[in-house]
Amino acid sequence: MTESNKRIWLLDLLMLPAGIAAFFPFYLIVINTFKTMQETARNPVALPSKWILTNYIQVFEETAVLRSFGNTLTITFFSVVLIVLIGAMGAYPVVFNANRITRIAMIYLLAGFMIPFQATLIPLFQLMSDLHLIDKHYGLIILYTSNSVFVFFLMMGYMKTIPRDLSEAATIDGCSVWGIFWRIILPLLKPITITSVIFETMWIWNDFLAPMLFLNSSSKSTLVLQIYKAKGEFAVQWPMFMTLTVITLVPIFIFFLLMQKHIVKGIAAGAVKG
Amino acid sequence: MTRFVRQAQYLSFLLPILAVYSLFTIYPLLKAVFLSFTNFDGYSKVFDFVGMKNYARIFSDDAILSAISYTLFFTFAKALLVTALAIPLAMIFDQKFLTRNLQRAVFFFPSIPSGLLLAYIWGFILAPVDSGVMNRILRTLFGIGSQPWLADPLLAKVSTVVVATWAVTGWHAILYLAFLQAIPKDYYEAAAIDGASRLQQIRHITLPLLAPAMTISFMLLLTGGLKVFEIPFALTKGGPGYETYSITQVIVLRGITETQYGLASAMSIVFFLIVLSIAVFQVTIMQRREQNVQ
Repeated sequence: MTESNKRIWLLDLLMLPAGIAAFFPFYLIVINTFKTMQETARNPVALPSKWILTNYIQVFEETAVLRSFGNTLTITFFSVVLIVLIGAMGAYPVVFNANRITRIAMIYLLAGFMIPFQATLIPLFQLMSDLHLIDKHYGLIILYTSNSVFVFFLMMGYMKTIPRDLSEAATIDGCSVWGIFWRIILPLLKPITITSVIFETMWIWNDFLAPMLFLNSSSKSTLVLQIYKAKGEFAVQWPMFMTLTVITLVPIFIFFLLMQKHIVKGIAAGAVKG
Repeated sequence: MTRFVRQAQYLSFLLPILAVYSLFTIYPLLKAVFLSFTNFDGYSKVFDFVGMKNYARIFSDDAILSAISYTLFFTFAKALLVTALAIPLAMIFDQKFLTRNLQRAVFFFPSIPSGLLLAYIWGFILAPVDSGVMNRILRTLFGIGSQPWLADPLLAKVSTVVVATWAVTGWHAILYLAFLQAIPKDYYEAAAIDGASRLQQIRHITLPLLAPAMTISFMLLLTGGLKVFEIPFALTKGGPGYETYSITQVIVLRGITETQYGLASAMSIVFFLIVLSIAVFQVTIMQRREQNVQ
């Protein structure tokens, strides 16, 4: 065995306990979904003595997990599409038609970058009820569109790398402002759009505070909100609760497997450009 | 004419973002400033200006004071712990070994699901009873008696920090890794030729060149930490007492649940100022340090 090979094995061995510890909570929750309540109480750590699927059948029968999944999908999809579109649209004149007005608009948007959602929560609650946007999916979607400020800055940074000649040539060819955006700029934004979609999807899919405040009826719950409500209902029925959690984790895990490369690239690109 | 039309068309692209941002961010913030000087209770149309009274009440409200101190503790403890773990983890991920991709995925995955879910999973592990998983493991392996992980004030605080650290360390390691991979290998080779040990290389090459990454990572940790809500809420519901109430939770409690709009708005504004000043302070210090390093 060569020197470098030895070092490789050493790191594998060294990292093994750390990896097991980091992964342990997921192991624990998955194996307990295949146990009865009694067995979970008796021995939560070991593999099930007999693998049962009752918990899964029960969760699908007794909870509206599929409907919550549909709700979350609808809210996330429309919010993300609107956020990315509004953000990209806003960045377009700021980069390609810079003048005093667009500069003022940019500074105005920048000023709000540090405002946390929590700081605006009380008036927001009043505003949402005044506008009759509470307990409606579209209400939450409209609220989420204010996230487009984050995407606006991502887009602005990226658009600056697009050569100006491109839009100028199109202007001379008689392309309208609207046409340049849709046919020339938007297709070029693909990489930053992927990054924006991933980060916004993760944020909205996982959000708990806004659904908790602005969605009341359980038929309109998102997945995270349903988990919260189930924690109260299934107080002691750990296997049932864990099964619901695992079912919720499955789409997130698939998203992770498919998008891991893009997420890592997004973090790196975002960080290095800073 | 056409020039004017083109300008107007360009500006129309800004309208949607200005509209949603003004309506859902700027207007509520200004309204919160306004409400913080009133005794508005959410229902009656009549209310009075009470000057700084709400701001004064913040400092005599036990729940709010507890929330501020817990949130600051959580934020700084988590930021330091994550940084201390993420940098060595990134250095390990920068090496070649067989299970590298698997290990990266294992550490990175917890940053993807909602904090609420993760905290509930940990709630099962840290159940402060004899049958709790952590108590069982410690008893079997080390013969340690049951600990009230989420019921004792100090242990509950530490537990929330540990869970939050577990959730995001991999994410920050990936951020550091991006910077590590950008360091030219020649630097290390040149240092090795000059007789620098591996530790000296880390001390004089790696860590200084990671300074910009630290600025970003720490900034994200601090602003994210101050906004914490899900993890303590799911683990302890803010308890015992108000010991692990986050600022967000106390704003919801005083404002939405108890409709003390004035007091909660004052708290919101104080919170905004804390976030803002920490961000400004931190960016200034970190940038100065980066310049010193260069």
